[in-house]
Amino acid sequence: MTEPTNGSSSPEQPWPVRVVSQKIGAWIGKLGWVWIDGQVAQINRRPGTTTVFLTLRDPSADLSLTVTTNRDVLDLGAPELAEGARVLLHAKPDFYPGRGTLSLRADEIRQVGLGELLARLEKLKKLLAAEGLFDPRRKRRPPFLPQRIGLITGRASAAERDVLTNARRRWPAVDFRVINVAVQGPGAVPQMIDALRVLDLDETVDVIVIARGGGSTEDLLPFSDEALCRAVFACRTAVVSAVGHETDTPLLDYVADVRASTPTDAAKRIVPDLAEERHLIAQVRHRLDRGVRHLVDREQHRLDALRSRPALAKPELLLDRRQEDVTALRARSSRTLEHRLTGAVSDLGHTLARLRALSPAATLERGYAIVQRADGAVLRDPAGVTGGERLRVRLAGGELTATVAGT
Amino acid sequence: MTELSYEQARAELASVVEKLEAGGATLEESLALWERGEQLADVCQRWLDGARERLDAARQARDQG
Repeated sequence: MTEPTNGSSSPEQPWPVRVVSQKIGAWIGKLGWVWIDGQVAQINRRPGTTTVFLTLRDPSADLSLTVTTNRDVLDLGAPELAEGARVLLHAKPDFYPGRGTLSLRADEIRQVGLGELLARLEKLKKLLAAEGLFDPRRKRRPPFLPQRIGLITGRASAAERDVLTNARRRWPAVDFRVINVAVQGPGAVPQMIDALRVLDLDETVDVIVIARGGGSTEDLLPFSDEALCRAVFACRTAVVSAVGHETDTPLLDYVADVRASTPTDAAKRIVPDLAEERHLIAQVRHRLDRGVRHLVDREQHRLDALRSRPALAKPELLLDRRQEDVTALRARSSRTLEHRLTGAVSDLGHTLARLRALSPAATLERGYAIVQRADGAVLRDPAGVTGGERLRVRLAGGELTATVAGT
Repeated sequence: MTELSYEQARAELASVVEKLEAGGATLEESLALWERGEQLADVCQRWLDGARERLDAARQARDQG
C-alpha cells in the first residue's frame, strides 16, 4: 500500500484520514515554540494525573486555546494560578491525531503579576496617547438632551440602577437601551465591544454610557483593554465612561469622550435636570421680558420728550410769534397815525388862535364898530357919505342898519 | 409713510424738531415741518403701541398655555 503523500488529492485519489491527520500535525508543528500572553479562563487539574488542562483566552477577543501542561511546570511558575489570571507561557502547538484536536503544550508558565500588568498598561497608555486616542480635539460632544441613551453595564448591578434612577429623576422622559454584559473576568471585553458595536449602529442611540461600580484594580482591568479602547475611539456615537475607581484610572477614562467619576455622575452628565432647566428658562424669560419692556419704555420716553418740545407740542407758538409781530406793527401804525392826528389837531388849534387873533371880533368887543356901505365897503372916512344913505353897523353883539343924518 | 422703521421715523422727527427750534424757516415751511413732525410722532407711537400689543399678546398666550 502506497501512501499518496505527495501531489494533490482528487476524487479519484482521495487522501486517507491518517494522511490528512499527519499533514495537519506537520503544519501545526511548524509554528514551533512560542511565547504567549493570555488569560486563564478555566483550569482543570485532573485528579490522579499530573496533566493539567488550561483554557487560555485572548483578553480582548472571544478566542481561546487549550493548553496542556504538567503539574510541575505549574507549581514552578504559577503555583497559585486561578481562573482570570494573566499568564505568559512558553508552548508549542500539538495536534493530537487520536481525536483530531489541537492543544498547546507548555513547558513554562509564568503568572503575570499585577505590577507587571500595570506596567504594561502604562506602556499601552503611552502608545495610545501617541496615536492620538486621547486627543481632546477628537472628543465628541454628547447631545444636550439625548433622544436615547445606550447603557452597557452589568446585569442588575448597582451601576445600572444608579444610572437609570438618577437620569430618570433629572429627566423623567429619558429613554434607555440597556445591554447587560459581564463587566469583569474573561468575556468582559468581547461582550463590551459587541455591545458597543450594536449601540453605535443603533441610529436612535445618541450617547453611550459604559458603567461599572468600583472594584479592585484587577477587576477593572477590562476597562483598560486595548481593543476596548480602540473600539470606543472608533465609535461615531459619544461614549461616556462611568467606572468607579479610586487609584488607577482605567484607560477607558482617557479615550472616552466624557469621563464621569461614578455611574451617578454619568447620569448628571448625559441628561439635563428638568427642574433646573425650567427654572433657568423662567429666569431668562423674565429677563427677556424686562429687557424688551425696558426698551419700549425707553423709546416711549424719547418719543415723549421729542413730542413735548415746544416746537412740536405748541405749534401755536409758531403763530404767536408772528401774531406778536403783526400786533406790534399794527400798534405802531395806529400809534403813528394817532400822533399825526394829534399834531394836526394841535396845528389846527394854533391856526384857529391865530385866525382868532386876527379877527375884528375882539375889537368890536371893546366897543368899536365896523361901518359898511351897502356895497360892503368898509367906511373909513366920512367924506363921500351922503345924507340919507343907509349904512350897516357891525357891533360885537350883532348888526344894525343906520341912516346918515348929516355930514 | 408706513414703510418707515421706528428708528428712521424717530431720527427724522428729531431733525424736524431741531429745524423748528432753530427758526429761520418761513411760516409756510414751519407749518409743513410741524405737520411732518406730527406724522412722524404718530408713526413712532404706532410702532411702540404695536410692540406693546405684541408683548401683551405673547404674555397672555404664555400665561394661558
